[in-house]
Amino acid sequence: MTLKFSSYVTAAILGSAAMAAADCADPVKVGVLHSLSGTMAISETTLKDTMLMLIEKQNAAGGVLGCQIEAVVVDPASDWPLFAEKARELLTVHDVDVIFGNWTSVSRKSVLPVIEELNGLLFYPVQYEGEESSKNVFYTGAAPNQQAIPAVDYFLEELGVEKFALLGTDYVYPRTTNNILEQYLKDKGIAADDIFVNYTPFGHSDWATIVGDVVALGEDGKQVGVISTINGDANIGFYKELAAADISADDIPVVAFSVGEEELSGLDTSNLVGHLAAWNYFQSADTPANTEFIDAWKAFAGEERVTNDPMEAHYIGFNMWVNAATEAGTTDVDAVRAAMYGQEFPNLTGGTAVMLPNHHLAKPVLIGEITADGQFDIISQTKEVPGDAWTDFLPDSAKLVSDWKELGCGMFNTETETCVQLTSNY
Amino acid sequence: MRRIFYAIALCFGTVMAAQAQELQTILQTHADEIAKPSRKTVNVALEDLVASGLPTVPGFLEAWVEKSVWQRGDGQFFIGAVEDDQINLRDVDSGAESTADKSDFKQLKPNGGVRRVIGTALVQFQLSDDNLTRRTTAVASIARRPAADQLAPLLASVEGEPDPALKARKIQLANFLSARFADNPEDRITAINSLAKDTSVEARSVLNQILQNSSGVAPSEPEGNIARILDPMQAPDAYYAELVEAGFAPARTGPAVIRAALEANIVDGRVGNIPLAQLGTDAARERAYAALAKEGLAPPLVTTQTRDHALGEYVFYDLYDEPNAEITAAAEAALSSVEQRVAFAQAADLALDGLSLASIYFLAAIGLAITFGVMGVINMAHGEFIMMGAYTGYVVQTFIPDYTVSILVALPLAFAITFGAGVTMERLVIRHLYHRPLETLLATFGISIALQQLAKNIFGTQARPLTSPDWLDGAWVISDVIAISYIRIAIFVLALLFLALILFVLKRTRLGLEVRAVTQNPGMAASMGINPDRINMLTFGLGSGIAGIAGVAIGLYAKVTSEMGADYIVQSFMTVVVGGVGNVWGTLAGASMIGFLQKGIEWLNPSNTLAAQTYMILFIILFIQFRPKGIVALKGRAAAD
Amino acid sequence: MRKSFLSENPSVLWFIAALGLFTLMVTLLSEATGAGLISTSFVKTLGKTLCLCLIAIAMDVVWGYCGILSLGHFAFFGIGGYAIGMWLMYARTEGIVLESLAGQTIPPTPQEISDAIGNQIFGVVGSSEFPMIWAFADSLFLQLLMVVLVPGLLALVFGWLAFRSRVTGVYLSILTQAMTLALSLYLFQNDSGLRGNNGLSGLQNIPGFEGTPQSTIAIVFFLISAAALGAGYVFFAWIVSGKMGSVIKGIRDNEARVRFLGYHVESYKLFVFTITAVISGIAGALYYPQAGIINPGEIAPIASIYLAVWVAIGGRGRLYGAVIGAAFVSLLSSWFTGGGAPDINLGFYTIQWTDWWLVLLGVSFVAVTLLFPKGIGGLFDYLVRKQP
Repeated sequence: MTLKFSSYVTAAILGSAAMAAADCADPVKVGVLHSLSGTMAISETTLKDTMLMLIEKQNAAGGVLGCQIEAVVVDPASDWPLFAEKARELLTVHDVDVIFGNWTSVSRKSVLPVIEELNGLLFYPVQYEGEESSKNVFYTGAAPNQQAIPAVDYFLEELGVEKFALLGTDYVYPRTTNNILEQYLKDKGIAADDIFVNYTPFGHSDWATIVGDVVALGEDGKQVGVISTINGDANIGFYKELAAADISADDIPVVAFSVGEEELSGLDTSNLVGHLAAWNYFQSADTPANTEFIDAWKAFAGEERVTNDPMEAHYIGFNMWVNAATEAGTTDVDAVRAAMYGQEFPNLTGGTAVMLPNHHLAKPVLIGEITADGQFDIISQTKEVPGDAWTDFLPDSAKLVSDWKELGCGMFNTETETCVQLTSNY
Repeated sequence: MRRIFYAIALCFGTVMAAQAQELQTILQTHADEIAKPSRKTVNVALEDLVASGLPTVPGFLEAWVEKSVWQRGDGQFFIGAVEDDQINLRDVDSGAESTADKSDFKQLKPNGGVRRVIGTALVQFQLSDDNLTRRTTAVASIARRPAADQLAPLLASVEGEPDPALKARKIQLANFLSARFADNPEDRITAINSLAKDTSVEARSVLNQILQNSSGVAPSEPEGNIARILDPMQAPDAYYAELVEAGFAPARTGPAVIRAALEANIVDGRVGNIPLAQLGTDAARERAYAALAKEGLAPPLVTTQTRDHALGEYVFYDLYDEPNAEITAAAEAALSSVEQRVAFAQAADLALDGLSLASIYFLAAIGLAITFGVMGVINMAHGEFIMMGAYTGYVVQTFIPDYTVSILVALPLAFAITFGAGVTMERLVIRHLYHRPLETLLATFGISIALQQLAKNIFGTQARPLTSPDWLDGAWVISDVIAISYIRIAIFVLALLFLALILFVLKRTRLGLEVRAVTQNPGMAASMGINPDRINMLTFGLGSGIAGIAGVAIGLYAKVTSEMGADYIVQSFMTVVVGGVGNVWGTLAGASMIGFLQKGIEWLNPSNTLAAQTYMILFIILFIQFRPKGIVALKGRAAAD
Repeated sequence: MRKSFLSENPSVLWFIAALGLFTLMVTLLSEATGAGLISTSFVKTLGKTLCLCLIAIAMDVVWGYCGILSLGHFAFFGIGGYAIGMWLMYARTEGIVLESLAGQTIPPTPQEISDAIGNQIFGVVGSSEFPMIWAFADSLFLQLLMVVLVPGLLALVFGWLAFRSRVTGVYLSILTQAMTLALSLYLFQNDSGLRGNNGLSGLQNIPGFEGTPQSTIAIVFFLISAAALGAGYVFFAWIVSGKMGSVIKGIRDNEARVRFLGYHVESYKLFVFTITAVISGIAGALYYPQAGIINPGEIAPIASIYLAVWVAIGGRGRLYGAVIGAAFVSLLSSWFTGGGAPDINLGFYTIQWTDWWLVLLGVSFVAVTLLFPKGIGGLFDYLVRKQP
């Protein structure tokens, strides 16, 4: 398997994976735009492998529209301008029918102008800050109302948290999410004094002062909770400091939006049991579909590999695209887009994901507690929540809606009844 | 006789059975609340359970908290533990054990909020239990959700408490509770006064809870325990908004309101007799609005003047929730005394954090203090030696599971590996470049890039765990405000040790003497029979080896990634340069300055750590411009370039 | 003077001729104007490479000729990019906003327009206020002036402070690196007003040319970049020739002796440092509209070090060496990281160049420093001299 896999990747990277069936006049090409080198490689390589696995499975099942699917893998090397260049290459040189790719928001913003100019189709699988709806992008990850808001509701309702510390890495996702949450909390009657916001750089490691500040928040006797949008490596130092300060989840619960199974593998979690994370998917979800997916993944990529939320997003996105293309009878972008609206596909965690006319999915929100073995114990699962491109909690975006099916506009101002712009705001 | 015995046993059995039936019955009546509990609804079920007085209730509740209660497909509850696909079940009442297939059972997972409520319900069973852990749990539960009805049982349990530490804790907690909930105001005031020296978060929270107040607005001063009367002119717009919300005044006419009013009153392309095309400025819009208001088509404009007038008509106040003014006065006095102490403690804590950061910078830079400071060799791969040390620690831990042993093995091994790497690099690259310092910089940079990528290829880009042994877990807690984790103390001690070691080596050993001789004048040293090649090699190896040990320490407190070295390299060079090249004390001074400075700037702007780093670097750049030789500048001939 | 300048630098004519030929060839083969053999994305790559060559020459002058190893020139490059990016973003967004506001019954006030633009640009990063540094963003002329002025002024102030205190050699290198780090950390903050980590994006859409296809825009930028590179080459060749060139090279070889000869070394150094910073800014302003996005990661200290790597591999102290180095290494780099290089299967292990390229680069860099201090350009010289 490993040998086959590596030679397969080799072929794919060469961009000449000659997998297309000979009898197919116009081969179906799927572009995979994930960083295979650089800082994002660790997260994105997993998604590239996921795509290769999904395509292999689909080809074994007969491909799409009678054609075998050919994967075109390129490496944008965690270099944001290179994302735009590679996207152009995929669409003009390789003529791909659809692209699955990107992780960071900035890479998406880099790619947007290119795919809008060339009318491409992108499936973006990662939870993000919202405030965007492009005609050419389907967002299969969570919008803030599908991750952040339910998690805060859980804090307010179930844990009775009265005072919030919003800790984040200083970049667009935490900034926007925290802005939304701050407004949301104020609407819920939390005083401005009871919201503590802090931003740290990428890879921050000196957490003692900040953890001390969080503990000190409890001085007026209110229940304190931490909402963490801390990204990547910085989490390790943060959780180590939490553990050193002996802060149990019973005293100050921490809910994280960017910590998944992969991130926990860099940590000894025995001191963190009970702290929380919110996602649309956890590996520990106990459903037959998930068991099958995990087994297939381990067989494909290796026994020690874990699954995570963006992988499920690609799983849903790819299958919806296959179904939409089959329904439309073509891989033409506009036809597939029209067929995408209302597509349904079962989630790995149970229930059904539905593609909405604002290019977001309706998905359930899961809250899990960290367990000692580095997994999450799911303790709360909502019904499917429809993704909202423009948040209702910031005045400037509350008046905007996205509806590509009826209104044909991703940024429609409901007050003036006009379409602000057809391209997206990159 | 035997018959009687049987009869009694039978009787007893049926009684047992009847009782057993009862707990499951209670559970079944509340099946929904128990299967899907919520903080707000679970109380009903809990009250019934506790009221039943069944001896099995505490055990069940404890199992529930630990997520070991399972529900069978038919709704029956069991206490169970999973073993592969099987589940070992225990009946909730009889305790009868059985095994079943897991698939038919669903685990109950009460969330943190529910667990806390259950914990409170368990208090009465656990407070005087024989088991110390249970009693500690009970006390912790009280501390988390203090309530008036806990005061009496807590006080009652203090007397019989055998564990001195827990007893002290119970007394402290009872004091907190009586400050808030005692029936007699004098008792409360006594308790409050005793808190005036307590800087713990709990004590402050007790005082703050007593002082809870709500702000309001009224036409005249209200009845009650008024905390303070507020001056609305401090923030007129905010107070006016409060007035509007209370329904005492009309809303301000903002640009959006004006705009909406204008849009609603367009007549023949004109509003208030002003053509639409001219409404592109705020002044024109206000004029048009005034015209509309005159005709009565819109409410009159609320000007600054009307706002101020309205504010003057009303009283804005904060009202204590606590009606007794004596109690709030005592609490205010206690709190202000506490806050003074807290401020001192915070300053001390900040100094401790600064010291800790300084020792981390010092540790990262100390190897450089030798290679760069003493030898004058720019080694941009220094950060990668730190990284190599950290990865050595990680690899050792994968082979030796005992954390203490693995650290003891990892430290010398990291030294050996990076010493070897340093010597190799010196022999292969650096010795050819001693007279071309800029080229050394570039060549070592090439090595740095290569090593970093090599580490990525071998270990992946994901951070690797390097776990500290148990005795380094946790923190040294002086008070709730002043605390420092043991691992940071260990780093501090390590930094001191290295400082002593290097000073000793340089000043008191033959090697040190030779090193100083070679760096000051290699030719002369060689003619005195010293082999400069060997000395350079050893010195460079020593500096690199120390970087390796620093790597293990840094990895323990933060993270092990291929980029961790790059995070420290610029800072380390600046530490050495700011401190003054050629002097280990200078490096210490540089590290202290940077560490304390960064913490100071962070304190000024707590919400943005990135800004603190930026300003610190800017400060260093300026500092070097005005003091290019650093804090501890060498004087005399040694200082010559 | 002019005659002696060209006779002193025969490479100038050769270079201009080669650049001209190359430009012509690319234009004829591009999608927009010719055979379509070169894809638009490759034209953009080539255009960007030309800009990198331009900053590499600047680096060569400041390091190879004047001996100042600056690890901060990519910061100036980035500032140039940000300056032009601000206008590009502002003007494009203004167009969109005016179009959408035009549909309203009441004409918008200037405040409303500004709010709407601010919301569009900064809404992405959770803000809508217009920061101070955007004060001139509505004017192309002023922003173009900033492309030149901001890097120039920054270099002037920094250089003045540093050279005045006689900070030299590796100390200066570390100091310039610190400056770059401070700038990139500053830009990483959301509060910097330049959209933090997201940076400025969509720069390839030139306001006023919405209808023009990207293939045309790409070739136009390619031609402008080529022209800038040519002009920059001639300009720097002129700077490093003649008496001034001799003084500059003298400073590199022995600063103290030049000072004893009565020259004001600091002024020369400051001049070279500032003028190269300005050219770097211009190169950046041409580069980022082709790249489409600029963000703080571009300015990270590592970028400036790569710049030094290019120049060292190409060959210091010779302008064409810098051009060769920048073009060769950056194109090779994108070939390797783009998966262009075939993997080597060793049986027990497969070398994938996406993973191993940086190791190769690092090692070859050490090798060049140790074994061929004159770089590829030195090889060139050797061959030329061999000929009769």
